[in-house]
Amino acid sequence: MDRLRSLLENHWKLGLGLAIVLTVAGTGLMGHLVWDVTRARVGSTELNLPPIWVRNPGPMFPKPDPTSPLGSDSSGRDMLALLIAATPNSLRVGVVAAGVGMAAGIFLGFTAGFLGGWVDNTIRVVADAVITVPALAVLIVISSYVRQIDLNNMAILLACFAWPAPTRTIRAQVLSMRHRPFVQMARLSGASSFEIMFLEILPNLLPYLAASFTGTVSASILAATGLEALGLGPTRIPTLGMTIFYAIKASAILRGMWWWWGFPIFMLVLIFSGLFLVTIGLDEIANPRLRGAPRR
Amino acid sequence: MTVPSIGSLILLLLICAPGCKRSRQDRSGPGARTERDLARKNTVIFDIDGGRVMNPDVWNPFVPGSRSDHGFHQAIIEPLFLLNYESGEILPWLGESFLHDDSLTTWTLRLRPGIEWSDGEPFDADDVIFTANMLLEHSPHLLYSASLATWIDHVEKVDDLNVRFHLKRPNPRFQLDYWSVKIWGGANIVPQHIWEGKDPITFKNYDPALGWPIFTGPYTLERVSPTEFVYVRNRDWWGAKSGWKPLPRPERLVWTWYGPEETRAASMANGQLDSLMDISYGAFQALQMRNKNIIAWSKEPPYAWLDPCPRTLELNHTVEPWNDPEMRWALNYALNRDEIVRIAYENTTLPNHHFFPAYPPLKRLVHLVEEKGLYERFPVMEHNPEKAKRIIESKGYQRNNAGYYAKDGKELVLLITTHEAFIEKQRIAQVLVEQFQHLGINATTRNEAGATWQDNYQFGRFEARMGWQATGSINEPWNSMDSMNRRWIVPVGERAQFNGWRWDHQAYSDLVDQIGVLPLGDPRIDELFLRAMEIWLRDLPVIPITQAKKLIPFDTTHWEGWPSKENNYIHSPTWWQSTHLILHNLEPTGR
Amino acid sequence: MKVYLLQRVGMFFLTVWLGMTLIFIIPRLAPGDPVAAMVSRMTAQAGQVENSAEIIEAWRARFGLDDPLPIQYLRYMKNVFSFRLGYSLAYFPTTVEEMVRDTLPWTVGLLALATVLSFLLGNTVGALLAWRGTPGLARALLPISLTFTSIPPFMLGILLIYVFSFGLEWFPAAGNVARGIHPGISFSFLVSVLHHGILPATAIIITTMGFWALGMRGMMITTDGEDYMILAEAKGLRPRRIFFHYGVRNAILPQVTALALSFGGIAGGAVIIEYIFTYPGMGYLLYQGIVNNDFVLIQGIVTIMIVGVSLAVLIVDLLYPLIDPRITYRKGSYG
Repeated sequence: MDRLRSLLENHWKLGLGLAIVLTVAGTGLMGHLVWDVTRARVGSTELNLPPIWVRNPGPMFPKPDPTSPLGSDSSGRDMLALLIAATPNSLRVGVVAAGVGMAAGIFLGFTAGFLGGWVDNTIRVVADAVITVPALAVLIVISSYVRQIDLNNMAILLACFAWPAPTRTIRAQVLSMRHRPFVQMARLSGASSFEIMFLEILPNLLPYLAASFTGTVSASILAATGLEALGLGPTRIPTLGMTIFYAIKASAILRGMWWWWGFPIFMLVLIFSGLFLVTIGLDEIANPRLRGAPRR
Repeated sequence: MTVPSIGSLILLLLICAPGCKRSRQDRSGPGARTERDLARKNTVIFDIDGGRVMNPDVWNPFVPGSRSDHGFHQAIIEPLFLLNYESGEILPWLGESFLHDDSLTTWTLRLRPGIEWSDGEPFDADDVIFTANMLLEHSPHLLYSASLATWIDHVEKVDDLNVRFHLKRPNPRFQLDYWSVKIWGGANIVPQHIWEGKDPITFKNYDPALGWPIFTGPYTLERVSPTEFVYVRNRDWWGAKSGWKPLPRPERLVWTWYGPEETRAASMANGQLDSLMDISYGAFQALQMRNKNIIAWSKEPPYAWLDPCPRTLELNHTVEPWNDPEMRWALNYALNRDEIVRIAYENTTLPNHHFFPAYPPLKRLVHLVEEKGLYERFPVMEHNPEKAKRIIESKGYQRNNAGYYAKDGKELVLLITTHEAFIEKQRIAQVLVEQFQHLGINATTRNEAGATWQDNYQFGRFEARMGWQATGSINEPWNSMDSMNRRWIVPVGERAQFNGWRWDHQAYSDLVDQIGVLPLGDPRIDELFLRAMEIWLRDLPVIPITQAKKLIPFDTTHWEGWPSKENNYIHSPTWWQSTHLILHNLEPTGR
Repeated sequence: MKVYLLQRVGMFFLTVWLGMTLIFIIPRLAPGDPVAAMVSRMTAQAGQVENSAEIIEAWRARFGLDDPLPIQYLRYMKNVFSFRLGYSLAYFPTTVEEMVRDTLPWTVGLLALATVLSFLLGNTVGALLAWRGTPGLARALLPISLTFTSIPPFMLGILLIYVFSFGLEWFPAAGNVARGIHPGISFSFLVSVLHHGILPATAIIITTMGFWALGMRGMMITTDGEDYMILAEAKGLRPRRIFFHYGVRNAILPQVTALALSFGGIAGGAVIIEYIFTYPGMGYLLYQGIVNNDFVLIQGIVTIMIVGVSLAVLIVDLLYPLIDPRITYRKGSYG
């Protein structure tokens, strides 16, 4: 009991963050069991319905309809179905992009940090070049060229820009670890470079890598939503960013249709807050001193 | 920077904020100049239709990247002639008449006497001849130059007010197509005394010290900035001097661009815009609720003015199975135009069963088609999913596990591409996708950047597109019909001028060619037209969906006299060169 | 040290060259070019453009877009080395320099200012969070300011417009200066610019503050445990002095490198912020260039960005040993 309490106390940020992210993901994944997700399509409900708790919608809108508790947009998409369908899609893009990006980042970061020399220099130069090129610019160009925009394509595209940051920071960590006593010991006892990298150094970096991963997921979802808000996402697959794009194009703010852009933004805020807390929480595990300065 | 100084900075900003609250009437920001020259009641403020003007120092109307819709051709450049959509007449403006001989190869232009450029130089035949020759020399780089080079053999000066154009081939539409603001604008005459000796491809025509750009209009350019253009009335305008028309009432005109649709609409609600470009119905409603003085073309649905470019679902005839007319008819039966109008347009347009816009001269022709019973044989407006399924199944398609039609292991797919900047067509495409999916076709839609979309059309690299590329006819049928003529066909991978869909029909094209050489209004056209329409309806190369709508609100708080259905002295788009007539009709309300 | 200097400068040029090459190749992968974009825009306005194929082909030839890629590439390199950015393809005959000259001040003014303010505010918040001497109330309130980091900047922009422009009507929703005001050094102009700049700047500041705060907090905690801090306390120096002179000053260094790098991210973030707020800056110009497939404009703007960022990073990297004598660049150590 005490252990549980101290665990919660020390890692409350991680706990809260995970709770939020899992709830959001869960709603998305389980939601289709309780609600008809096909109503996220154009024309499935009456247009411009306000949410069910709006007493006086005014002359511009029809009366709320219990079958669309969160309202609908100006093309007849049910907002609840849209949220349930779109949230896991947005999460998925982020996770896949971050996964691929991190995998590349780990591989390249380790190689650069461990091998050094011209390999290190090459990887550093390429990583820096990719960082300085404005990612959004390139993404906009590429997404107008790719034949079929679906979630996996988008994720791969985003991964192309997600790898430099992890590469740089992992490389720095590897460099600092290289000279630690336990690595020297492993070297003395005859372990190969490969063994040292993956059996000695990597386990020590795990919390740090996990924090980096969730941070990259956050950044990838942000980039994906940014692209979608400019209109370059998939069209029939619901995503939170495209919903915002349609809302802007249809003057939803002026029309007072706050539910159209408000709910997707709310979901995104939840996702980002959750990931943010998870990242800080994992950071604290990696570096326990971050939990706070000791009281004097 | 220390904490206290940061704190005081924040405090300062917070204090400023409420102090910056403006009243509803004056929204020009704190410390705005309120001298007489910017007095609201003497100024008309327009919205720029085509987006932000990225190169505000280019005032050469012939280079591709230039813009004319930011007041340039509405206030400064006057046209030779002006087609009035409402009455169907071609109004004389700078030109008095443009007569052709029986062979349709010699056209004589007579100019109005007494016209002057805004610097006082006379406007005469020399300027016309100079402009024509300049365009011919620099074909095809300059806009309109390639078209004129196709037709004009040489230009001859008869006297100071008369110019004769000698054409290579008969063209009954020479005046209509190039010099009459048929759609949006046309070829304009430039002053010889300024353009002589300049390279028209790189000449910017902008020099505030010399008063450039110099044209004949009742306004001259006063001030330029990336977000607004200010024009001031020219007291010495030739029209008033010669007694042709009085000076227009507005002293100043401003063209500005506020960004996304709702920011622009909100600006109009706050009295900062008198004329707004096309907006969606919901935004229009919200606008009317905030500002009671706002009107549109008509007071009842569809409220909107109908634009000349009907929306069509266009298929690529080199892609199977859409090269089969019966499959195209299946698509036609599968879609529901009423639902599209309701959802995609929120009821601000009309469904269309023809590729013509619904203007009276063309409506008459469509009526002939109806009278002949062609629409009973070919019911384009019919929504009948059962018939669609029968057709598809008769071709050997069967439902697969996913619920889609498939044949020989290949699913029946349809990718509809749309231009990324135009949300109207995207909304139509989204409804179409649902309707086709419902039927069992795996339809999807995708946005493409403008350049990509254009290239893919011309090169024939698409399956289907939601476009408007059958546009052209306003008061005579040949133009739109010719866009589907087989003479434009080039292989996929080469650039096609028209008929990027590659619909190849010899008999139809022959009929169109015959119509092409008959004078406007010739009675023989009707018969040829009906025969061509029978072929077209059987084949249905492009599927007409809706009429194009432009919901253009006007604010009558400061200015009255805007065109509307009741007062239809001219058509209403204020980004067209026809705005000149609107400017002459505006009266201040005094508010 | 000299070896390191040469190496570092060499890598700077290499990075810049690589970035420039990337931005040369990638836009050309997409079909279409600015003349086609112009034609498609004109067909939307004018219904149809006759002889469009001829016009497009003629201008492609004039712009050299049909030349083999290596030749176009060499031309691009030559232009950059003679400090010319070329004619914009979509807005011919305006040159890229002219367009950048008109928009750069606004982007630098708004975004650089907002980034620097965010940096200062964020680091202050982060440092205060880590410091023991911070009163408990502040310690509780400060994390709240960081929750806004979870909102992407453009969304906060939409929210700010909704509340402050359409709702309260305190600030304008678009543009950089009010209608009718002459640009120039005048009080009304400056006030109007400030008035229009507050919302976009706020959106940026609030959403990026948290990142700096977290980093600073981490660095401060690391610094806190160092020996010299204990010595300073033992010496009896005032807490304020220890905080600033020993704590913040040492912790801020890695943050400054991150700041230099983040200027590269400005351009990307700028695109969306300038789009939402219709701010006539370089980010919006880049977006227009991309949408029009205007290769020359894209190349020009991105080259400026790449050079700017890489230069900033290079300068910071070179200044490091001067600021922090513990860092050496001899072979074999961590650098």
